[in-house]
Amino acid sequence: MYLSLKWLREFTPYDGSVERLAERLTMLGLEVEEITRPFVHLQNIVVGRVVETRQHPGADRLSLCRVDAGQGELLPIVCGAPNVAPDQFVAVALPGTALPDGKRITRAKIRGESSRGMICSEVELGLGEENDGIMVLDGPLVPGQDMLTVMDLDDWVLNISITPNRGDCLSMVGLAREVAVEFNLPMTLPDTRVIQDGPSCADALSITIDDPDLCPLYQAGIIRGIAVAPSPPWLRHRLLTIGQRPINNVVDVTNYILMEWGQPLHAFDRGLLSGNSIRVARAREEQSLVTLDGRTRRLLPADLLIWDAEKPVALAGVMGGANSEVTQTTTDILLECAVFNPISIRKTSRRLSLTSEASFRFERGVDQPGSRQAMNRALALIRQTAGGTVMQGIAAHEPHPWQPPRLVFRPARAKKILGVDLQPEFCRQKLAALGCAVDVQDAQAWRVQPPGFRPDLEREADLIEEVGRCHGLDRIPATLPRTARSLDWLHSLAPDTAFRKTVKHWARGIGLTEAINYSFVSSQDLALMGLDRIPAIGLRNPLSEDQNVLRPMLAPGLLQSVRHNMTQGNTTLRLFETSVIFQPDPDSETGALEPSRLGLALTGNRHPEGWPWPMEFVDFADIKGCIDHLLRHLHLPHAAYAPLDEHPICLPCAGITLGGEMAGWLGRVKSEIADHCHVRRDLFLAELDLTLVQRWHAQSRLEFKALPKFPPVRRDMTLIAPPDLALCKILEAIQAEAVDLLQEILLIDRFVPLDKPEARLTLRLTYRHQDRSLTNEEVDKTHQKLSQRLASLLPVRFS
Amino acid sequence: MPASGSDPSGQSARDLTHHLEGLVPELETVLAATASDQELEAVRVQFLGRKGRLSGIMSELPKLAPDQRPLVGQIANQIKSRLQALVDQRLSRLKQDKELKVLTYFDPSLPGLTAWQGSLHPITLVTEEICAAFGSLGFELVEGPELETDFHNFEALNLPPDHPARDMQDTFYITENTLLRTHTSPLQVRTMLRKRPPLAAIAPGKVYRRDSDLTHTPMFHQIEGFLVDTDVSMTDLRGTLTAFVHKIFEPKTVVRFRPSFFPFTEPSAEVDISCMLCGGSGQSAGAPCRVCKQTGWLEILGCGMIDPAVFTAVGYDAELYTGFAFGLGVERVAMLKYGIGDLRMFFENDVRFVSQFA
Repeated sequence: MYLSLKWLREFTPYDGSVERLAERLTMLGLEVEEITRPFVHLQNIVVGRVVETRQHPGADRLSLCRVDAGQGELLPIVCGAPNVAPDQFVAVALPGTALPDGKRITRAKIRGESSRGMICSEVELGLGEENDGIMVLDGPLVPGQDMLTVMDLDDWVLNISITPNRGDCLSMVGLAREVAVEFNLPMTLPDTRVIQDGPSCADALSITIDDPDLCPLYQAGIIRGIAVAPSPPWLRHRLLTIGQRPINNVVDVTNYILMEWGQPLHAFDRGLLSGNSIRVARAREEQSLVTLDGRTRRLLPADLLIWDAEKPVALAGVMGGANSEVTQTTTDILLECAVFNPISIRKTSRRLSLTSEASFRFERGVDQPGSRQAMNRALALIRQTAGGTVMQGIAAHEPHPWQPPRLVFRPARAKKILGVDLQPEFCRQKLAALGCAVDVQDAQAWRVQPPGFRPDLEREADLIEEVGRCHGLDRIPATLPRTARSLDWLHSLAPDTAFRKTVKHWARGIGLTEAINYSFVSSQDLALMGLDRIPAIGLRNPLSEDQNVLRPMLAPGLLQSVRHNMTQGNTTLRLFETSVIFQPDPDSETGALEPSRLGLALTGNRHPEGWPWPMEFVDFADIKGCIDHLLRHLHLPHAAYAPLDEHPICLPCAGITLGGEMAGWLGRVKSEIADHCHVRRDLFLAELDLTLVQRWHAQSRLEFKALPKFPPVRRDMTLIAPPDLALCKILEAIQAEAVDLLQEILLIDRFVPLDKPEARLTLRLTYRHQDRSLTNEEVDKTHQKLSQRLASLLPVRFS
Repeated sequence: MPASGSDPSGQSARDLTHHLEGLVPELETVLAATASDQELEAVRVQFLGRKGRLSGIMSELPKLAPDQRPLVGQIANQIKSRLQALVDQRLSRLKQDKELKVLTYFDPSLPGLTAWQGSLHPITLVTEEICAAFGSLGFELVEGPELETDFHNFEALNLPPDHPARDMQDTFYITENTLLRTHTSPLQVRTMLRKRPPLAAIAPGKVYRRDSDLTHTPMFHQIEGFLVDTDVSMTDLRGTLTAFVHKIFEPKTVVRFRPSFFPFTEPSAEVDISCMLCGGSGQSAGAPCRVCKQTGWLEILGCGMIDPAVFTAVGYDAELYTGFAFGLGVERVAMLKYGIGDLRMFFENDVRFVSQFA
């Protein structure tokens, strides 16, 4: 909302600085976002008197003028406007001046004739849109005076952000009221008297409202015999000051009143309305209406329309219809001043994506009892600017007269909420200044009736906010609350967040970098990666097709991060992300499960670059090492890893199982996907179900084990195994033998000869007896026996 | 056998003693030429070994008259000790030399085997810092789903359908009735439905709004805090948020409360802090401050006293209980705290960005 300081001063005599006004309005909850001086550029434009004009010798359409611009000499100026004539007072931009459109005036030679300035049109001065040649000022004026002063356009405009509850402040009058309350100034409302010299309006028009809930009040006035023309300069300039485009004297008055009172009005061309009735009724099935902006709107029965005797003529509260628009030829108008149901207006406006100054105000609630005044003021102004006769009275129907809510205000309650003891007289005075009727007979519980322009004051809490606001929220002192808690708060109410925190800090500790990706991905990307078989949740109204599904796994987001980094030249990556993913679940209240996941992506160098680290690249062992390290960190048992066939993203790929439950996967990203991410080295991904890991972690208990008293004996064995015999099979076979003395098995070497399809695995077995030292002989015997068993159970040989 | 140059057959005690004593300077000379442990060991064996020089002389001992043997034996033992001492001395000298030789190549400025430095995302860092600050004030962490029902996200928060305030939060819908939460405020509702007062809780998390431009991302992070008890007033809200600001930013930061509107609080306020770049003057280095755009203030959070309608929605006695709530944007705090200028960097995960927050 734009507030003009000049306009404001018509209602309340604020004479302080604009900065102070802005500061105090902001602290009242009317946040001033910007202060501008819209016509300040006119300061550099001067009044000139055209002394003589003659034909430009080299161009038919140009005149050579000599202009007295108060510069001590007559300036030669070439002018292309047909309406330039001697003795005119005109606006002159001297060389060096910048015009609002950015154009800078210089001394120039135009077709051989020198020109030292420009005689401006309204368009060039930012004062109008129609170019009828140069602007001719009413004289006499003193040449050389600045135009800002001459035109009385030195105004400040505050751009104020109005919160949705303060529809009343979407008007000069509403804002003036706030200023008057804040600075304890008197408030004078505009004159709303109107000379009504025509026959009775009520006799000439009948009003029917089909659905009183959608339209509690409809009023109409009629003016006959007007002349539609451009508005007088003061009106056009006012509208321009607050960023409104002047159209004609009728429309401009309706806009002016909307801005001044916050009451939307609509003028119909009475001659284009059929019959003598106005009906407020819903749209019929399959109905459409061409609105003033020329667009055809398809309507639903939920949309409210204004009808004449035959047809719909306006989309109620949103926009007028093109079929009854006021034009140059209009002579009689019907002026509508109504109140519509905010929800109904909002629904229509949202559905049609059509927001107007009117709908914006109706949605926030308008002043029903005050609307008649706004109407009268509009009738008077139209009469003043466009002439005509105003018919006696108005035609009106008010099925639901406004009832002020009867509220209670308890000073003690205000103290409890605000924490400060406000003087009762201060509260009474402020509530009254805000327009409330206050009855303080019961000192503990006042009776308060808010005014019609404050539909947001519905409860005691709203009144407490008002007195707090007037007192100044910033003046409330600061204390720390006591935070009493009950014992049932001892157990964390955010176990998932806490667990993810543990995992995040682990990840940072082992040198991983955290990524946070958007929760949405593109369904097309999922399909390209073959992930469209995983059930995912789609957005009904995505911003774009790139972000139309909630991610069913972390991998797609991580791949995007990889891709971004590669394009930035970051070729070594050690990324992790912990977040929830989304799975459809019809049994859930929200329709979804949100399990936590950990995602890892590794590519490029295994070690930090440079001596003394060797130059190596990450491989499968690195990413598996991360997972194993985490499980160890969380005191979990070893996970089992087995090849996964047909994983959409990775090849090879391994599944991770924890106690028989599938806990995730890891592997090398398939070349076509890696290429898409511009990865040069192998890229490894892993995804772990943190919800499952968290459950296991919650069950794990740390328990001390006594230190061994007797020394271990170690024996190595080197097995020659076929390449498809997994290490876990060998380890399982050894464990199945349940050798009492065997404490630990460690793979210490693996060698794959180039020429033979085999793997040579060297295992180090640690033997120990709990109660005594072992002899070499008994260990050798046990070890030997174990080797023989393995050779008989598995396709292995010993070297 | 090493040659001694004398005929042992006619040995006298004097000769033997002479031979024995002669070993000492001889060993000294030989030892001085040794340069390694191996050479030293060879010399030791040569003099002190079982078949060494000393043993050779000692083997003459039985040839002496019985009465002379003890004296010479005694001298021999002394010599043996001296020889051994010389060898030990040389050994430690060689050891020392070797250690000193290491110094020649010792350059402590060479790089170490530094492991990878991991880093947490600035959002995580700031979230944890904020939660810790409120934790120290007695607030407990709570959590809830990102996909929410209309009831928890809007209706219970005094935002009925078709309320214009819903425009403040453009929403991603999943179905008619479920949506991506537009703020962390549903955690107020969820927590109050689960627990009775007194309660003081803080809820960090991702939130979503259908908005994407230079200063908006469709996903961002918020932290919601609320406290409900029988006697909570706006002074408590002010104190809590002032304490928070002073913990997270500079203790001298000025906090300003400006009336605003949120459907779920009444009164509602926006909290501004004095600009950390220009100190609230609006001018920095003689130019208009780019951080606060000359206002001297930075908006950091919204807050207010919990609206009675919210208490009614969760079944609390709105006359008995009062409380406050606040919500702040984590990205905003991170940008101010670390001087990050571009919001979109948060979700690109460029490692050159994230690793600055190691």
